[in-house]
Amino acid sequence: MENEEVLATSNEPLDPNLHKKHISMIERLSNRHQTRLDNSLARQSESDSSSSSTATATTTASFLSRFSDSKRSIDSQLAQSRLTDPAQLRSHLDGISASISDLEKLVAESSYFLPSYEVRSSLKTISDLKQTLENLNSELIPKKKFSFKNKASKQDRDRSVSDSKQTALENADSFSVSLEKLSFQVRVSPGLRNKNGETLVKNFKGLEIGEFTVSDLDSCEVRLIGSVRALFVHRLKNCRVYAGPVTGSILIEGAEDCVFVMASHQIRIHNAKGTDFYLRVRSRPIIEDSTGVRFAPYCLSYEGIEEDLREASLGEETGNWGNVDDFKWLRAVQSPNWSVLPENERVGMVQISNSGDGIEGN
Amino acid sequence: MGLLSIIQKIKRKEKEMRILMVGLDNSGKTTIVLKINGEDTSVISPTLGFNIKTITYQNIMGNGQFIIQNVEIPVNVTFGRYTLNIWDVGGQKTIRSYWRNYFEQTDSLVWVVDNSDLRRLDDCKMELDNLLKEERLSGASLLILANKQDIKGALTPEEIAKERLLADNFFLFM
Repeated sequence: MENEEVLATSNEPLDPNLHKKHISMIERLSNRHQTRLDNSLARQSESDSSSSSTATATTTASFLSRFSDSKRSIDSQLAQSRLTDPAQLRSHLDGISASISDLEKLVAESSYFLPSYEVRSSLKTISDLKQTLENLNSELIPKKKFSFKNKASKQDRDRSVSDSKQTALENADSFSVSLEKLSFQVRVSPGLRNKNGETLVKNFKGLEIGEFTVSDLDSCEVRLIGSVRALFVHRLKNCRVYAGPVTGSILIEGAEDCVFVMASHQIRIHNAKGTDFYLRVRSRPIIEDSTGVRFAPYCLSYEGIEEDLREASLGEETGNWGNVDDFKWLRAVQSPNWSVLPENERVGMVQISNSGDGIEGN
Repeated sequence: MGLLSIIQKIKRKEKEMRILMVGLDNSGKTTIVLKINGEDTSVISPTLGFNIKTITYQNIMGNGQFIIQNVEIPVNVTFGRYTLNIWDVGGQKTIRSYWRNYFEQTDSLVWVVDNSDLRRLDDCKMELDNLLKEERLSGASLLILANKQDIKGALTPEEIAKERLLADNFFLFM
């Protein structure tokens, strides 16, 4: 048997079956080589469908044609972006982003029958598309600049607050839906609740507080100094939350357009949208029912934070901030719901202090 | 007496129980199981799927007890070896629908409540109610474990019982 194989590779006409296999393998290899040379997916699909007639190839071919169709339409949409009316630009770009993630889903669903090269090249195409979209985004829509410095000028803050109020009004519908199921509280636990456009400071040092709740805030900055056992975060919009170490767990449910800087033993994130997390966690952070969330390492500083972190066994970076489990995406390919925050978009070290213009929470 | 009958005799003396640990996410199920088993609890990721722990307990003197931190749990075993198969199943919303895959042949159910999570007590009660409607669990005994009482501000077991979680025919613990 071994002999036969050796002979077959040296092109002796032997077993016709073996020979055929050999030929088809060479053919496949040269095909792959060609596709590698040519990045155009359209041509890829042509060559694939012309050269092979097996069952998997037809499904691969149909996938490739679907893929290239939607890629073409996304490309043309991207090209149109520059000509789009600025007022509709955002929804236009959002639409593109939605079609890109649809495309990503298609790849994931097809990944079990696709040859690994196709999976890789499709994912590459998708990430290129995303990059293009991101570039367009930053080029056409100027970013709202907000600073993370401790002492932003009052005027600045007022302006950004009124800005966000406006967007809050626009999104009032979606917010009221979540408000309607306001659950009955057995008793009120310590926390910061129902505020709009304020800077809220809470120092846990010297206080005997076990669990703390931050809920129903809009356009606020929250600074939690010191350590607490458990932290519950619920329904936040357009907020920035800076927190010292939590020795137990953090549970976040409902966050939109927020920035969180926090350290904990466990972190669970539910229903978050368009939110950045700067984390130090001892275990793997998890997300569920979330989209557009990004992760980066912890970057908070206040007087005595080193000691607080050490006492909470969080003195060392664990690297877990990037080991995110998405319970809505139990597949081998990367979840489309979260990503690593690119280094050039991360905030620097955030310095918070106890003093300042903020008010104490109850 | 053949070997088989010896084995059978030993087998009969061994008592084995299948215990299912469930509850909302973040209630501390995995921590409890690891703690009972004397394992390190400093790094526990939210459970994606399930863990199984088998604890064998050798009892010679009659009544024995497990010791978890400072709490003593009396176990009424008359004699011999005792094996607990503890199934610790993840509690995230997405995977709660898989709980029912573990109901078959469950001898007892441990429902873990996070006493410090006041906001989600409604959810907690609802999920427990759903579970109790399950026919396959009808023969199983139920333990409601009011966890995280040591966190300041957490509800006491009495409050949990009074407010919502329990009808009178269940008993409360810890």
